Amino acid sequence: MKDSMKPLSRLETSSIPCTLNGQEISLNVPPAKRLLHILRDDLEMTGTKRSCDIGRCGACMVMVDGVPVNSCLTMAYQCSGKSITTIEGVSAGGMDPIQRAFLEEGGFQCGYCTPGMIISVKALLDHNPDPTPPEIEEALSGNICRCTGYGGIKRAVQKAIEWRREAYESESVHD
Amino acid sequence: MAANAQGVAEAPFVWHPATAAEAWQLKQTLGTEGVYTAGGTLLRTQWEAGLAAMPNHLINVGEIEELHGIHIDCESGTGTLGAMITLSDLRTSPLVHASFPLLTEAARSIAAPSIRNLATIGGNVLSLVGDSLPALLIYDPVLHWHDGSNGLQESLSEWLSTAAVHAAWRERLLIAIELTQPALDSNTKRFVAYHKVGRRDAFTPSVVTAALSVQLDSDNRLSDVRLALGGGQTIPHRLELVEQFLTGKIANKKTITEVYALVVEHYEPKGDAFVPVSYRKKAAANLIASELWKAVR
Ligand SMILES: Cc1cc2nc3c(=O)[nH]c(=O)nc-3n(C[C@H](O)[C@H](O)[C@H](O)COP(=O)(O)OP(=O)(O)OC[C@H]3O[C@@H](n4cnc5c(N)ncnc54)[C@H](O)[C@@H]3O)c2cc1C
Ligand code: FES
Ligand code: FES
Repeated sequence: MKDSMKPLSRLETSSIPCTLNGQEISLNVPPAKRLLHILRDDLEMTGTKRSCDIGRCGACMVMVDGVPVNSCLTMAYQCSGKSITTIEGVSAGGMDPIQRAFLEEGGFQCGYCTPGMIISVKALLDHNPDPTPPEIEEALSGNICRCTGYGGIKRAVQKAIEWRREAYESESVHD
Repeated sequence: MAANAQGVAEAPFVWHPATAAEAWQLKQTLGTEGVYTAGGTLLRTQWEAGLAAMPNHLINVGEIEELHGIHIDCESGTGTLGAMITLSDLRTSPLVHASFPLLTEAARSIAAPSIRNLATIGGNVLSLVGDSLPALLIYDPVLHWHDGSNGLQESLSEWLSTAAVHAAWRERLLIAIELTQPALDSNTKRFVAYHKVGRRDAFTPSVVTAALSVQLDSDNRLSDVRLALGGGQTIPHRLELVEQFLTGKIANKKTITEVYALVVEHYEPKGDAFVPVSYRKKAAANLIASELWKAVR
């Protein structure tokens, strides 16, 4: 059997190399285990939330190589060699301006959807710092909020865009 | 350890073939115990809903080079999409947008960006009811399969017409989808439209998915009419009878009124507990009629 055809092991764990919030790690888990369960149960990183389990709510959103994916749909082997960012990683260097904007603009009530929302907004603004309203709507179309009616979330996104722009402009002035 | 709805531990073997031949050989060896897996988004839905048990072996087709890549030749108006192209790749590719704009629209309408980052065009096609299908059907699509021999090519329309009843294709590996842009005659313009109508604005199964491409001359005379409908559990197909009816006609109030009635009469969607057949027929007819109005406006 060729090397490429060797299965990753079944009941025993396999070692899957990846980067988690900037740190190189090896996931010693069954290869089809879902990233959501690895994060919450094995690594005790509970910032990523669990709700529908089938990709419909966005509570479990993480970034893989800079783009948002639902960790309840992502299997461990799909993370091999990839860079994963969770909500814990977003705030590793202190509160992210996106998080502050959600706080200041009332972008949450119960807060259950918020980590997933923040991840989706971060993925959007990292790629497109000045999105149009339809682009924002599309980027957040996989994140469901049962509380806010989305008004506060939209304001928070606009505020985050403003703050990031101001920060960029003041950096450019100082350069 | 987490388990799916069937109570099966999430511990299948995962195989990583590097070539189509290896993947196909694995499938031959494993039979129904082994399942080709691309993004895994549809499979996960099926496992969680209890529609299918999680298999003992996943055959990850993501590492097979041949299944990747978008190749478009703008001069000849032809293109090939690897089966592992994600719906996000489709949504954002300027080349796809320039040559096959209905596909950009279709990709935008499927699920949400985070799912599109995993979900592939191959998986969408092989679901038999994917919302990319009406758009693909406009571009004379040909499926390229690996079947253990020299490869098999088959028109998407033909495959769709029998795929629900013949299961032999499930052994094969889909490699790519070949497309051809409709040619444009001189002194004509082309009008294209794609619509997905759901019960909510976003993130909901489609009631009707429609794709339309027509050529119009300066008198609004229609030619090269292509019309595909699907949605929900209806296997998408071209409406050849309606296409023939429209060909050569001038798009005016009379033609559009007649085509509305024709779609209601001849389109045969599948209904469900939420949306009956009669509603789907009317929704489809309304979409076609309103798009034809836009074409001549
Ligand atoms: C929350 C959510 C929302 C969704 N919304 C939509 C929607 O709006 N519209 C829509 O059309 N779909 C939707 N889907 C369904 C699904 O995401 C898409 O159909 C997707 O494109 C499937 O691709 P995949 O790569 O994930 O397929 P997979 O799940 O990996 O595979 C799907 C099927 O194809 C087979 N397969 C995959 N690749 C190959 C290959 N190369 N050769 C042979 N067999 C292969 C698999 O064995 C399996 O049977 C949704 C799914 C979720 C979870
Ligand atoms: S828990 Fe993953 S999308 Fe709902
Ligand atoms: S704040 Fe409660 S679900 Fe969004």
